Amino acid sequence: MFGNNRLPAFHPGLTQSRIRDTTTGNRLWFPGVRSPPSESSPSDSDPANDQLPLPITPEDLYDTPMAPFNPYTYIRCPCSELNPYAKRTPDVTAQGLSCAAQDDDDHTFDPRAARSNYSLYPLEYLSFCEDCHQIRCPRCVAEEIVCYYCPNCLFEVPSSNIRSEGNRCTRSCFQCPVCIGPLAVNHVETPPDPNQLLSPDHAASSHSGSYILSCSYCNWSSTEIGIKFDKPNSIHMQLAKLRNGGETRLTAKERKERRKEQGGGGGGGGGGNSTGQGEEDLDALLDMETQFANLKSFYQNQLSDVNGTGKAGGDASAALSNLGFDAPTSLSRIMSLYTGSSSLHDKKSKSRPGTMREALAPSEGLQLASLDETSAITALQDVESTTGLDAYSSTASTTQLHSQAPYLGASPLHGLTRFTSSLRPIPYLLRTKRSKRCPQCRHIISKPESKVTTTRFRIRLIAGNYIPTITIKQLIIPGLTPPPMPNLPPDTIAPLQPAQFVLTFKNPIFESVRVTLATPATTPGRFPSKVTILCPQFEIDSNTDVWEEALKDNNASASTSQQNLSSSTGPEGGPGRKRAGTLRPGTAGGASLAGEELGPEVGKVWERGRNWTSIVIEVIPASLVQTAKRDGKGPIKEDEDVLEIPMFVRIEWEAEAPEDEIMPGLSSAKGNKDGGKEKRELAYWCVLGLGRVARTL
Amino acid sequence: MSRRPPRGEYIETDTGNKVARKATLVGTQNIMLGGKTVIQPDVMIRGDLARTIPPAQSASGGPANNTAVAIGRYCFLSKGCVLRPPGRMYKGVFTFMPLRLGDHVFVGPGTVVQAAQIGNHVHIGAKVVIGEFAIIKDYVKVLDGSVVPPNMVIPSFSIVAGQPARIIGEIPEGGIEAFELRDLYKTVGNNPQPTTS
Repeated sequence: MFGNNRLPAFHPGLTQSRIRDTTTGNRLWFPGVRSPPSESSPSDSDPANDQLPLPITPEDLYDTPMAPFNPYTYIRCPCSELNPYAKRTPDVTAQGLSCAAQDDDDHTFDPRAARSNYSLYPLEYLSFCEDCHQIRCPRCVAEEIVCYYCPNCLFEVPSSNIRSEGNRCTRSCFQCPVCIGPLAVNHVETPPDPNQLLSPDHAASSHSGSYILSCSYCNWSSTEIGIKFDKPNSIHMQLAKLRNGGETRLTAKERKERRKEQGGGGGGGGGGNSTGQGEEDLDALLDMETQFANLKSFYQNQLSDVNGTGKAGGDASAALSNLGFDAPTSLSRIMSLYTGSSSLHDKKSKSRPGTMREALAPSEGLQLASLDETSAITALQDVESTTGLDAYSSTASTTQLHSQAPYLGASPLHGLTRFTSSLRPIPYLLRTKRSKRCPQCRHIISKPESKVTTTRFRIRLIAGNYIPTITIKQLIIPGLTPPPMPNLPPDTIAPLQPAQFVLTFKNPIFESVRVTLATPATTPGRFPSKVTILCPQFEIDSNTDVWEEALKDNNASASTSQQNLSSSTGPEGGPGRKRAGTLRPGTAGGASLAGEELGPEVGKVWERGRNWTSIVIEVIPASLVQTAKRDGKGPIKEDEDVLEIPMFVRIEWEAEAPEDEIMPGLSSAKGNKDGGKEKRELAYWCVLGLGRVARTL
Repeated sequence: MSRRPPRGEYIETDTGNKVARKATLVGTQNIMLGGKTVIQPDVMIRGDLARTIPPAQSASGGPANNTAVAIGRYCFLSKGCVLRPPGRMYKGVFTFMPLRLGDHVFVGPGTVVQAAQIGNHVHIGAKVVIGEFAIIKDYVKVLDGSVVPPNMVIPSFSIVAGQPARIIGEIPEGGIEAFELRDLYKTVGNNPQPTTS
């Protein structure tokens, strides 16, 4: 029963930046520091309307004071390749697609392809498997639950409890059914006289309980559904016994006892719902738990009867009936699924029983659907006539209904609540701590400490410690860069004009790294922009020890400091700044600025520091408006104005070769040993989001 | 301090705190700064809202500790934010309770914080309201414009947004370095260092 609710464990859609919220079309990219900021932060003023991100259309973003565009770098996880592990584990599906995989090599990566949404991640989200020497993303790693805990009281819940009690906190942690804010247990003061005068209701009902759950955000309280508690603790247990309105309900155990006392027979649904007429047998309203219990005992009786009498029905019908839901075989299988008892199954498997009859009375678990909606309709009309409020607002929204916990005391199927006035407090869903495994070698990539309150990790192999970070900045040299057009919206790139960006690669590892970059000459998609990497091949110095750096720094300042230029300490304007390191000229051509003073030169590094190197990339953005008009391809879609450049990054370095290392046949690591050192390489696609292209021209 | 001939925008203390001259600190005797904390102009810290009832006579037998606002190291209080200790009825009397901030807490501009406790490495965005007695654990990011309801507990590694705030995501393993505020600390003050790339 509880299994219907998924644990709130880790929703990939929420953590994956590129996945869009289907309801709003908004890019769900909340986390990370380098994220596009306010456009993704949801805000809605109405507490009842709890849809998460405010629907923002691209036009809104554009016309209203626009959210500043933060350049981003997303990296493509190799798991999205059609045949990621083919060399190791060739499976049937991979082989079927192998021809497609081969010509995948010839194609450049298209960041706008629908599939790319699922494979691009910011660096923070990526892990790194040290054994496979490969990037791993949240989508491809295997997760294992380390522990369950309640996000409100932060108590750990043992996994055995999860099986028996379900995936919600069974202490006193509840969320408001209206606004999902936390509910607090409050004492209702009864004795003072003025209170009594002011609110006679309180005094009247105070005998039933003196604690309530109340929401301090929207002022909802459990008195609205007529529920008060005797004790301030173990609210969950008390609430399970209370119906809306405050009537007590029999728990399963109590009902069993009562049935025993009555000696079987009809054990109708406790106090009964106030709307139901309990007189007529077939109309008796059973709550979900009672109905299930009745059905269960009925079918158990049936099974044992059938098994006892052997083959009752005709041969042909018996054989046919084994296919339907009423067949004893399928029935016992279903029951063992839901009740977890396998004893029935064993008994039955020996003899092929015949037909059985279905439940005929509420005592046997028969529940007639009540399709009569008149009461709901009159209630809806009453809201409008009595309170003058909009009746629609008194009905529960889909999200409110969705967040309701399954309540065993509810009447099933057709008795679901439709009004906000009958929503029940929501016990907090449990959260989990999870460890991650490499999908291929099964080594653990990330493992948090199992204690709920600690934030340390035992293992944490993150990609940021292995591959260079890329930061993007627009290059504006006064005098050289043409001044921005006056009619250009701020924070946009002018179309059809060369714009230059500085890409800074920061090396996290202790070896110097050789980087080779490649991009297609024009960006894929409807609006091809021309791209030139001015220096596609360069080196980044090693990430030396911080102490070493500090010592160098001291030396530099102590001595004349001019000699130490190459020691490269201060990154910005400091003595370590080094322009135009001489490297092999790359294949980039056609840059108009080549050879000019001060401007970026082809084949030369722009700047370099201790463990970082900057290069320049030149872009001539396509004109959105012209292209769209000329091709007649319709309007510009959402985010099509963002200038995204796919870039292939290949990094090579020499690492200390571990002796017992057996290299997997991956491209990421090749033997080639010389003197304890070993050449390593890693190659991946990434996407540079440079900015929005202006929609002028 | 005033030894320096040109009066800087900030007062820099021995423990490395940088407090803007234009910040409003009320009841300074009840405000504890852990060191290396930046307080920008127009920040208001209500140290005057100290407990009116002495804390429960437990093991702390020493001098009455009447701290209203305790701030850890490397915190960054942006322009125009307000730190205000929460208050409630306690045994029939209204009293304020202390507000505690851990280390590396960033509080965005225009934000009002009335939490009971904020852990280490917490990023609170701009124009956020943190309700009374909220508890925010470590490595939490509160996005701009959120309204965290009173009494809410936000567990570690959460990303929180909305009105009322709810948990909308998790901080990835690789994202926890971004909470470090050491570099940010260096970029403000009377002789700020440029940001490192």
